[in-house]
Amino acid sequence: MAVSILFGEALALGLASGPACIASCGPVLVPSLLTERAGVRANARYLSTFLGARLLGYLLFAVIAWKVGALVSMSPSSRVFVMGAVNLLLAGLLLWYAYSSKHLCGRSCATPKLVKIGVQKTSRTAGAATLGLMTGLSLCPPFVAAGVRAAELGSVALALLFFFCFFVGTTVWFLPFISMGCIARNEAVLTVARMAMALIALYYLLLGIVLLIGKNAYGH
Amino acid sequence: MLMGTNVCVPHFRPASPRGILRSFLLTLPMAVWALLMGFHPGTSTDPKARLAAAMTAVFMTALFFMMMRTGTTYRWRRWFFVSLGLLFPVGFIYNLVLARGTMGIPIEEMIAGRTPFCFLAIPLLIVPAALTRTLVFPGSITASSHAIAGMVGLWLALTLVLGKGWCAYACFFGGIEEGMAAVPPRARIRKLDPRWRYGPWAVLLAMVLLSLALFEPAYCMWLCPFKAVTEFITARNAIGIVQNIIFIVLFAGLVIVLPLLTKKRTQCSFFCPFGAFQSIFNKISIFEIKIDRTRCQSCTICRTACPTMSLSKESIARGETLLSCMKCGACVDACPRQAAVWHIKGTTVAWKPERARLMFLYAAWAMAVLFGGSIIASGLFTIIHFL
Repeated sequence: MAVSILFGEALALGLASGPACIASCGPVLVPSLLTERAGVRANARYLSTFLGARLLGYLLFAVIAWKVGALVSMSPSSRVFVMGAVNLLLAGLLLWYAYSSKHLCGRSCATPKLVKIGVQKTSRTAGAATLGLMTGLSLCPPFVAAGVRAAELGSVALALLFFFCFFVGTTVWFLPFISMGCIARNEAVLTVARMAMALIALYYLLLGIVLLIGKNAYGH
Repeated sequence: MLMGTNVCVPHFRPASPRGILRSFLLTLPMAVWALLMGFHPGTSTDPKARLAAAMTAVFMTALFFMMMRTGTTYRWRRWFFVSLGLLFPVGFIYNLVLARGTMGIPIEEMIAGRTPFCFLAIPLLIVPAALTRTLVFPGSITASSHAIAGMVGLWLALTLVLGKGWCAYACFFGGIEEGMAAVPPRARIRKLDPRWRYGPWAVLLAMVLLSLALFEPAYCMWLCPFKAVTEFITARNAIGIVQNIIFIVLFAGLVIVLPLLTKKRTQCSFFCPFGAFQSIFNKISIFEIKIDRTRCQSCTICRTACPTMSLSKESIARGETLLSCMKCGACVDACPRQAAVWHIKGTTVAWKPERARLMFLYAAWAMAVLFGGSIIASGLFTIIHFL
């Protein structure tokens, strides 16, 4: 009974945190999803990989949170350092992703007519998985709240289940993103997605550097 | 990778002028509107303010008269638009310094919403507001909900009628770069990768997503070039310094240098997220520019004349402009065969284009007087005050 209440709590926490999770993952997920091939199935596959890797990040975090109580005991400066490093990695990955996506559209896409991009030769699974893992490890507020709660549980298995339920709750909010597969992929969409990815990467890069050198954005 | 040919653009075709009396009669409603806007009840009784309002009303009326008389649009609109762009910072900075003592705004003031309203942030508010029912805009909206609804209603009505016309007849940011683009006789850089046209959409997408993630208007905080000539963020730490460097570099590059080199409105064409947002409404606006394929000889003079790269070879072949067209009239005035025409959706191409132009101009110029007129008057008042 107590366990089911606990899972209910995790699920509710995930459902309630959904908008915050979308806000946190949106800048990474939306442009990278737009560089994926059109079609609901292709986008569902990408989203599954992304979310699966995100779950892996969650579970890793759950183990760390429970096992060493890292989240609770970690000093604020160390936490900032981890955040800075994650942001830098994310920035590098997004820049690479934006650059590598240029091969996805051949010269035929130069026409403004909506031209479907041909079958991709390269697999994007690794990219989706890495981006998912990175966003899974970023310390957004609901994630930290879930981490603190998981650290209080009696066993690592419970902590993992807690995070799994939390993940399921948040995932519901991501399902509408599959519909982005209905957007036709042409040169315009691909270029916009790549440019947006580069801009977002620059923001993460700046944020990462600032966090690593220990400057406060709003302080004196 | 091609844009612009090395042809000398005969910028404004000599149109058959209207008679003075007919032009005067067509201008009369706009003159009444301009006077109403300058001297409606509640306006300042200060003689200097009245003088500024009178000068503005005369200026706006004279320009409209010239549009009616000559049959051309672009160069007269440009006089208004450049004046608006140059006078906006004058009045704005004066009022800012008067109210706050400085152009710099501390971040706490920004978070508290004690900043003036800016339309550029509108697209950034929608997603955070939809998901969290919270406005992340750093501006104090102290009016009642009825007043806000009225403002939104007015914007919606104007947008539905004019589409992206806002960017050519009301935006108080685009004038500086349009003025800069008008300075050189020829473009130094003629080949611009057309893919840069997607820039505004990319900035819009990135800024909407980051605004949601950061729960702050990311564009205002990080990328607005016009912070350089309006209010900037007080630089009290490394972040503040970086933000201000970004504002200045973007302003210098996109608003000053690139327009001088390309003769294009580069900030509007390659960067402005609000422009991208407004482009969507071109789909539902009843007014548009069409290319009459029966007259067009594909000389692409219109493409070279367009200040926002809203014409491509493909779009000309289809007889239409791209979604980013702001209906400034440059292509219509430049076309030597009068193939570029004003058009009302639902009618056949080249069906009474002058009537379509008049209908559009009455709506657009009324908006120009309403929004731009008060800003021009404020700038003039500031100058008169210091003289």
